Amino acid sequence: MKNGRDSHDTYKYVRTDTSTLDKVIDVHDVYVKRSKLRVLFSYIGRLILLANMSLLLIEKDKLSIVSFWRLFLGVVSAKLLQYKPIKKVMVDGSVTFPPINYIRSGVAAIHIERPPLFQSLTDCGRIDRKFIQMGKILKPVLNECVTPVTCYWSLVLVLRDDDQLALVFQKLQPPIKILVPVWKALCKSTNLEDHSHSLK
Amino acid sequence: MEESRSKHRILMVSDFFYPNFGGVESHIYYLSQCLLKRGHKVVIMSHAYGNRTGVRYITNNLKVYYIPWRPFLMQNTLPTFYLTLPIIRTILIREKISIVHGHQAFSTLCHESLMHARTMGCKVVFTDHSLYGFADPGSIHMNKILQFTLADIDHAICVSHTSKENTVLRSGIKPETVFVVPNAVDTAMFTPAPTQLARDEVVIVVISRLVYRKGADLLVEVIPEVCRLFPHVRFIIGGDGPKRVRLEEMREKFSLQDRVEMLGAVPHSQVRSVLISGHIFLNSSLTEAFCIAILEAASCGLLTVSTRVGGVPEVLPEDMIVLAEPAPQDMVRAIEQAIDMLPNIDPQIMHSRMKSYYSWHDVAKRTEIVYDCVMDSSNKSILERLPRYLICGAWAGKIFCLVMIVNFILWRLLEFFQPAESIEEVPDMASMCNHEDDN
Repeated sequence: MKNGRDSHDTYKYVRTDTSTLDKVIDVHDVYVKRSKLRVLFSYIGRLILLANMSLLLIEKDKLSIVSFWRLFLGVVSAKLLQYKPIKKVMVDGSVTFPPINYIRSGVAAIHIERPPLFQSLTDCGRIDRKFIQMGKILKPVLNECVTPVTCYWSLVLVLRDDDQLALVFQKLQPPIKILVPVWKALCKSTNLEDHSHSLK
Repeated sequence: MEESRSKHRILMVSDFFYPNFGGVESHIYYLSQCLLKRGHKVVIMSHAYGNRTGVRYITNNLKVYYIPWRPFLMQNTLPTFYLTLPIIRTILIREKISIVHGHQAFSTLCHESLMHARTMGCKVVFTDHSLYGFADPGSIHMNKILQFTLADIDHAICVSHTSKENTVLRSGIKPETVFVVPNAVDTAMFTPAPTQLARDEVVIVVISRLVYRKGADLLVEVIPEVCRLFPHVRFIIGGDGPKRVRLEEMREKFSLQDRVEMLGAVPHSQVRSVLISGHIFLNSSLTEAFCIAILEAASCGLLTVSTRVGGVPEVLPEDMIVLAEPAPQDMVRAIEQAIDMLPNIDPQIMHSRMKSYYSWHDVAKRTEIVYDCVMDSSNKSILERLPRYLICGAWAGKIFCLVMIVNFILWRLLEFFQPAESIEEVPDMASMCNHEDDN
């Protein structure tokens, strides 16, 4: 069994890599550290909104257009300062042998492999899952992105019969040292898929 | 020649790069390719062209950053002074750049990059590709910007001795800091026709942008006179521009439709095929720092007739070029002289001579010497560098100092909020490709 850990100022990476007779478990977890400053700003935004609403209730006999503008600005500031951090993103590229019928969350994963699972867990407990068929993945690619103010790396999947690249980490920008082991594992999984297809 | 002591990591910056075609663009491309072959690390930065934005890799893994800043005027990004600091700082840190090499005085991205690079303590080099005037408002403004950029530069490169004089006079920098490294030509691409053309009919080729600066008005005067004096001469004109209408009118007026062929805009890949259909290349530019076009023509075996302007007299030896003053009568005289010289011209010999005179590898070697000199120069703090800006003018000097101080403060703020250690360095692409192959 191989496990890996890595740490960064904002991200923590944990890998679980286990091989048994009938399955290979390869799970990559990227934990996002909460930013205390942004939590503070989000509370300030909510406080501003609360104060504006309270003032509106107190002045309910003397309402004017200014009161509604104040409320509008309070809503806008609360929305802008809102902080819904992603707590954890999991990339599960496990492979199961021999063929089994496997049903999870309403998605039937048939034939030999269970498709890679990309799952993000937000701070409020919401889980977003995305399954991508292994056979649909042409190649995982490390992509350099350039914005008007910065550059960063992203891990994307080139999919068959699809012009759009699929982002593995939709809302995060983990550093390259965390992306590389995930990329290597996905490359290995896609090579295993190509090899198993070629053996038929 | 001594080997370079160490390999450099160079960032070439200009608003003018592929997919645009031109002298500056091809200079940057060929120089970068030759520097890569010599073992240096080269990265290019330019602005986005349409949908071409982000990181691209071109021939030989040459990395190009097309930063998503749209061109504002004449292919230049909007001058913002400080807004490009974050992206330039990020690129300099992640690519571990040691030298920033800016190209072309007219490029705002070049000037801003050099300013930010100096603030961050990087070595900088500037190459000037054009000649500019002194009297008109546009030139006065441009020269002041150049004075600001070159006030604190380590070394500059000019493409001809004439260009060096012009740059030194405009910017006020010391002549000993300016190197002259001429352009070159890809002689493998520009080769003569396999069989020599018959000389019963003399074909004169003109390929240039049909604008005032390139002497299109001179052509309007010269062509009818040459056609009148020499019945066996015809012209092929490639290129487009606002002056094309004047040439079309001249053709109609003198009924020269069968003797003057207008091709319109010629893609760069087809320039050679147009050149080898002629005997003489005619250049009527009113100003040229160097003129790569006559190198391309000479490499294809054409005898050149050109105006004696700027750096043109430095480009070719006397038996390959006939020079004339930028006046119609003198140009007609020069064309007559060139027609008389034609029987003595062997295109293959001319091509071989061009191969020995000009090569991009030689340009890269000479540029490397400039880089070595730049790296040897001492590092100075901002307080030691500010007096260089003060001598730029009574008011301009103080404004320049203020701009640099604000730039320094913004840089320190960026260092505080986003330390250099938090910016990841880009792994070496070659080793990553090997690792992927192993997987």
